[in-house]
Parts: sequence; structure tokens; C-alpha cells
Amino acid sequence: MATPTGWASLCDKFRSSLSLSTVESKKDPENEPYRSKYSARELLEEIRQLLGSEEAGEAEGDEAAARLRAARLAVLEYELGVNHTDTQERSAGEEHLVKCIELLQRHRLSRDCVCLYIQAQNSLGILWSERDDIKTAQTYLESAEVLYNQYMKENGNPPLDPNEHFMAEEERLTDQERSKRFEKAYTHTLYYLAQVYQHLEMIEKAAQYCHTTLKRQLEYSGYYPVEWALNAATLSQYYLTKQCFMESRHCLAAASVIFSQAGQAPSAEDNETEQDQQDLCQRKAEIARCWIKYCLNIVQGARKLLEDNIGELDPDRQSELKAQRKKEEDEKERGRKKAVLFGTSDLCDSILAMEEKVSCVFPLDFQEAREVFLVGQNYVNEAKDFFQVDGYVTDHIEIVQDHSALFKVLAFFEEDYERRCRMHKRRVDMLEPICADLNPQYYLLISRQLQFELADTYYEMMDLKVAIGNRLEELDSHTIKKINSLAQLAIKFYELFLDSLRNPDKVFPEKLEEDVLRPAMVAKFHIARLYGKLITSDGKKQLENMQTSLEYYTFLVDYCEKHPDAVQAIETELELSREMVGLLPTRMERLRVKLSSFT
Amino acid sequence: DCCIAEGDAIKVYVRVRPPSRGPGCDDGDQSLCLSVLSSNTLRLHSKPEPKIFTFDHVADVETTQESVFSSVAKSIVESCMSGYNGTIFCLNLLNIYFSLYTNESSLGPPDSDNFTHNLRGVIPRSFEYLFFLIEREKEKAGTGKSFLCKCSFIEIYNEHIFDLLDSASAGLLLREHIKKGVFVVGAVEQVLTSAAEAYQVLTMGWRNRRVASTSMNRESSRSHAVFTITVESMEKSNEIVNIRSSLLNLVDLAGSERQKDTHTEGVRLKEAGNINRSLSCLGQVITALVDVGNGKQRHICYRDSKLTFLLRDSLGGNAKTCIIANVHPGSRCFGETLSTLNFAQRAKLIKNKAIVNEDTQGNVS
Repeated sequence: MATPTGWASLCDKFRSSLSLSTVESKKDPENEPYRSKYSARELLEEIRQLLGSEEAGEAEGDEAAARLRAARLAVLEYELGVNHTDTQERSAGEEHLVKCIELLQRHRLSRDCVCLYIQAQNSLGILWSERDDIKTAQTYLESAEVLYNQYMKENGNPPLDPNEHFMAEEERLTDQERSKRFEKAYTHTLYYLAQVYQHLEMIEKAAQYCHTTLKRQLEYSGYYPVEWALNAATLSQYYLTKQCFMESRHCLAAASVIFSQAGQAPSAEDNETEQDQQDLCQRKAEIARCWIKYCLNIVQGARKLLEDNIGELDPDRQSELKAQRKKEEDEKERGRKKAVLFGTSDLCDSILAMEEKVSCVFPLDFQEAREVFLVGQNYVNEAKDFFQVDGYVTDHIEIVQDHSALFKVLAFFEEDYERRCRMHKRRVDMLEPICADLNPQYYLLISRQLQFELADTYYEMMDLKVAIGNRLEELDSHTIKKINSLAQLAIKFYELFLDSLRNPDKVFPEKLEEDVLRPAMVAKFHIARLYGKLITSDGKKQLENMQTSLEYYTFLVDYCEKHPDAVQAIETELELSREMVGLLPTRMERLRVKLSSFT
Repeated sequence: DCCIAEGDAIKVYVRVRPPSRGPGCDDGDQSLCLSVLSSNTLRLHSKPEPKIFTFDHVADVETTQESVFSSVAKSIVESCMSGYNGTIFCLNLLNIYFSLYTNESSLGPPDSDNFTHNLRGVIPRSFEYLFFLIEREKEKAGTGKSFLCKCSFIEIYNEHIFDLLDSASAGLLLREHIKKGVFVVGAVEQVLTSAAEAYQVLTMGWRNRRVASTSMNRESSRSHAVFTITVESMEKSNEIVNIRSSLLNLVDLAGSERQKDTHTEGVRLKEAGNINRSLSCLGQVITALVDVGNGKQRHICYRDSKLTFLLRDSLGGNAKTCIIANVHPGSRCFGETLSTLNFAQRAKLIKNKAIVNEDTQGNVS
């Protein structure tokens, strides 16, 4: 072994190299981004040379000494490997890292080596992914995962941190700190694996690894609360797309709880700027938006289950599902245990309390749907507080669209047609002013969505008024006026939508782009039907309406003749249009005859 | 039919630059890693199998600046005059603004008198053409029509926005206005009256950019730069005032940072950085998982990158967009070339899907 002073200076060098590559390198000038890394590399190579030459003589040491020497050299190889990869010299980086692993191979399950071994495998995983070879990366990372589990099973004592190999006895870390660092290295393994699985399109496994990573971050307090909350909220959206409402709600509740803790804690650096405050408000609003989607999805999912073939609530299905739910309630507890829960007891209690505010099973009647709706509406208001139209146009409108969607799906559960109609009126009231203000040159997509949704809403309101009218003995003039004006408004917005497809010279495209084909055809089809529904006692006017209706039906039929690839997208509409194109001329002829016989 | 559809897709133009020039590629090794097969295909000599790439246009080393301009950028400038927003993305073309041949190793632009040089790049040519078209319009319409051109020049570096026309400013914000679309709060806007003036503003702003050198790359741009010209026309006829405005964005995409952009990611993993720091990219991983969800309502907490947000209109909808990518044929540049070609190929697929929420429930009855 080197002289005490020699060893101390070696350790000093090592420490400087670490500080160069982790601290100093962040301050490097922009035109020389790797200056400190290059200096750190020089120091490491120097240490390796000193270490190599000094100990070459005493090669016949005992097992412990050999292991110590191997570990020290491996630390240097590891640092050199990371250094080279950081500075875009991958091949050299790989050489060093592989050498590190070779040196440790025999001792990888020992307390002084296991942590370094896992870190080296992590780095090799990263390196191979940078070479676009995700399979090789996977091999390294999975073997790190296996090693961790094996070590924890067979030994389990907090292992040494690699840097301790270059520390004096009195500087050594506490077991608590060792364990923290070791667990962090393993958390990184899981985090990289989550990405590997994502790239390999093993989505479910990737999500599971993300979930576990989040869980471990909480356990070992290795997280920024705001960031953690956002990640959990995002993960909830994954579960939403899989219709796993219990998991989704758990993630959201955890996000809200952790986020509220972040708001309370005094900020780490006390120079909190206005910008930071703003950011915090934005994050809060983002989480609220995830909640909105949760509420929306669960009610929409329920609607899907409950509706009959014409889109109305099916009472038989409803009672069937209610009975089924009662049975499942008993099994609920068991299901809960299977999910991965966040946090330890205290935290878990707060999260569970948060969860109680909204159900995670499908609402089956108006009362239940309304409860979810109200929670969603609260989050709409919270989100709108931050995402105001002035400055956040797109976000603001998206939230309004969600609000409208909440009303729409709630209306499905409402039995009273008048009240249902009023809900749709609420939608119109929130959408119409924005649609009028929005400049389609910059918000074409969103402006089309609004036009289409408004048209559809008016269409739906007209249908409701017709249904209400049909219950009366005779249509009164007020109802007729209402039906006609709703139909005209629906036509107006469908036409606005269709106009948005025209080029700057106002010409309608010969061939529609794939992404607007179906909506454009549906708009034409609906306009045709709307003209058919307009009520008038004036025979001439009626004939005109029928003529217009025929023109729109004909458009669909002609278009599909010219572009047969469009047929698939609008099969039902096309069939009905063909039928109408066949029927209407006869009907019109009959009307003409009738009209002429009166004059 | 296919031609009409293609009119709206993003056009990708790949240009092979002369060998033995350019950063990191100029030491001795003259062997080539690619060959141009035709005017729209090239072969990359990758192992074990060579790879064929197809683009809208592939230009070999002999191509002139004029031909690059007229086959790709010209039509974008024209549609800008007829009311479309237009965007030209430049990849690996540190010198696209200027000459490709004469200044390759210098960080800055040449002096502004080089503006008339016949090796000048696509951007100065676009300036000239734009002002040529404006003058022509004015002559045709007489006093009834007037134009106002303004420009701004910003840089996106590490997801922060800087104003290149005001070196003192820092950290600008992106916001949306219901009438005017996305804008950078507080960015300096300069009125332009001629192409020469535009070039001068560009030259001035260019000096404020962030460039870096490493032992591998002698120079590489670390930031995206966006030069935006707003063209506003006002026409008076019979007391009716008709105002029309459109944008022309000229975007220089960062080299080494490019991979970090949303939508352009290869398969590499995101690193955790220092062992003691949090895993700040986990969100992006989860976001990718959520994106796979089909048709379900969901909200993603993480925004697109600043660049995609700023240029959202350029990636589909009512905008005309093209990409000019520059590759170096030398073997030593194989990696960079491959990633550029892959990027260019993926870019063709980028498009904002115009999803119109359409729900026919109960309507067809």
C-alpha cells in the first residue's frame, strides 16, 4: 500500500476529479462545454497510473487485498467510462465500462462492489441505447435488476458507495446514506427499464416500471414534489386509457396530496420569483385537468354501457348493472390490495381520504352521474382560473370543450327532455362566443372542432324539440318556430365548418384530406337531413327545401362515385343518401302536382 | 389526385454537401458514406445492408444555391403572398443563411456586403424574392394597396427563449392571443422595407447566437433560431378595407440538441443525470405511454417543446412547410448523416391531425 501521504493525495485527486465533472462542468463556458470534463479525465488517468505502478510489485497479496485493488481500479474505469460517454466518445467509454465490469465480475455480490457493478451496468445500458441497440441495453439493465434482487436476498447489508474506495476511514458514509445511494442506483435501473420496455412497445410492463419508480421515489424521498405530482397525474391518464379507474384515481389523489405538500413547504431557495409562482399555479391547473378527464371518462364509459341501439338509456341494462355492482362491492377490498399503493401509512391515509371524494365505479343513474359531473365541474373552474383565454387560448378552449362534454354526457342520464335541452343550451352558451372570436388562420383545427360541435349541439336540440312536439296534440307555432330556428343554426355551423375546408380562393377541394373526410361528409349529410326537417306551410318553400336537401344527398353519392376509397368511411350515410336520391324526386314531383292542382 | 394531396404534405429536400469540408470531417479520410442515386433517392453505405432513402428531392454536390432556392423555397414564399403561413426548416445548415461554400468554418456570417454574392444561401434569396413579389403587387394595384413587413428573430436554447434582436433580454414567454395566435411576449419587432434591411437585421441577430465546440465537432449550433417575417397587406376598394396577413418562418434547427426535440426522438433512453438528482424525464416516458391510448379522452401534463408550440401552425393545418437538410458524405460523418436522414424521413410524417370530434350517436335514424 502507498504511504499514508501518498494515499491521501490520491484521494484528493479523486475528489477534485469528481467535483470537476459534477460541479465545475456546469459552469463551463458555452463554447467549451466539456472543459472541466477533460480536466477530470486527466486526473483520473493520473490516479490510475499511480495506482497501477505502485501496486504492481505486490501482486501476490491475499484475497481481500486483491478485491480492494480490483474495486479501486474498477471505480476509476467506471468514472473514465462515464466521462468518455459524457463527452460523446462512446467507444472509449464502452471499453472502460466493460473493463470495470470485468474487474468486478468475481466480487459482484460483495458489499464493496455490488453498488458499483449496478451503476456500471446502468451506464452500459444508456450507452447501448445511444447506439440505437435497445436489446443490448435491456440485457445489461435486466442483469442489474437480477443482481439487486439477489444481493438483497442473500446479504441485504447497506453496500459501500463506489466513491468510498477513495475516502479516508473517518470520512466513510453512514449505513443510512449508503443504503440511500444504493437504492437510488437501483431506482435508476428501474427507470431505464421503464424506457426500454416503452421502446420495445411492452407498454403495460413499461407503465408498471414507471409506477414502481414513482413509488420508490416516495419511499426514498428522492423526488421534487411538484414534479412527482405531475408524473403521477400523467400516469393516471395512462390508466384512464386502459379504463382502470381505481388505479387512475389513486394516482390522481396521490398527485393532489403530494402537490399540496409542495405548496406548503417553504421553497428550497428563498428567491421565489413571480415566474415560479406562476409555474406552481399552472401545475395545479394541469392536475385539475387530469381530474376533469377522469370524471369525463368514467361518465362516458358508463354511458357506453347503458345506451341502447339508438343512444338512449336502456333501463333493463341499468338494473342488470346495478345488481351486478352490488355483488362486486364485496370483492372490492380484495381488488384494492392488488394495486400498487403509494406512500406509507400517513401519506396513504391522506390519499385515501382524497379518493373518497369521487367514485371509481361507473355511475348508473342521473344522481350518480351528477355527483361525478359536479366534481368535474369544480375542477373545470379551478383549471380555468389559471388557463384564461387571454394568453392561453388553446388550453382554455380545451377546458371549455371538456366542460361541454361533461354536460353532454350528463344530459344522457336526464329523462326530462326540456331539462336535457337546457343542458345543451348551456353548451351552446359557452362555445358560441369563443368560436366567434377565434381566428381560424391560427387556430384552424380548434375552430373546426368548435363549429362542428356547435352544429351537432343545435342538431341535438332540434331533435329534442321535435320529440317534445310529437307528444303534443298539435304543433303550436311557438314550437315550430323553435324547431326551424334550431335547424337553421345547425345548418349555419355545418356550413361554417365546410367553408373552413375551402382554399384562400374560396374553392372547395376536389378531394378531401383523409382527416377531414368523414366530418365533412357527415356535415353534408346532416345539412341534407336538416333541410328535410324544416317545417313550412308554404308549398313552394317546401319544394325549395327538398331541392336543397337533394343537392346535398347527391353530393355524397357523386363524391363516392368519383372517390371509391371514401365509401368505407361513411357507409351508413351513403346508403341512406342513395335511398333519398332515389325517393326525393318522386316526392317532389307529387308535391308539384299537388301545388299546381291548387292554383 | 395524388398531386393535390401531396401539395399539403411537408416537402423534404436533402442536399449533399461537398466532401472534405465542414466541422469534424476534414481530416484526411476521403472515403464516402453515401451516394446519390437519382434526383430523389440516395444510398447510405451502412453495414451490413446499404440503406436507400427517398425524399422529395436529393441534390448532389454540384447543385447551385439558385437551384436549391427555386426548387423548394420559392413556392413557400409565393404561398405566403397568397395568405398562407409558410415555414422553411433548415437542418445542419449552419450557413443556410449565407454562403454554403465560402464560410463553412467561420462561426459568424460574412459581412453584409456579401449579400449580393452569387453563392448566397436560401434565406437571403427568400428575402429578395419576397420583396420582389411585394413590389410587383404594389405596382399592379397602384395606390390602393399597401404592405407592412415586420420581423423578429428569436432563439430557443435549453427550452428558454431569447430575443436575438435585443441581447439584453432574457427568458421571454410564449403566449397565445385569440386573434393573433402564438406570440413571444416582449419580442422586438423591426419594420422592414427592403431585402437588404432584412439581411442586416439577420446578420446583427446572428452574432448573439450560442455556438459550442467540442473535441468532436469544431462548431455546432446548440440552439434553434427562428426568424419570422410578418407580411401584412391592406387593400382599399370602395371604402372597404381588406387586411390580410401571413407569416414566413425561417427556422434553423440545432445540430447536437436536435434529438432532444419532441417527436424526433430515436430509441435512446433518457438519462437520470447525476445519481442524486431526481428523474426529471420520467414524465416524458409516461407521456409516451399515454399517447398510445386510442381515442380516449386524456390530458398530458407536459407541454410540447417550445419550438413545436411556437410553430404548431406550421406542422399541418393551413400552412406550407418544407425542410432542407444538409448532409456530409464523408465516412467519418456517418453517424451524424444517418441521424439527419432519419430525422428528415420522420419529419415527412409530422402533421397535426385535424381531429373533429364527431359523434353520430342517434343521428342516423
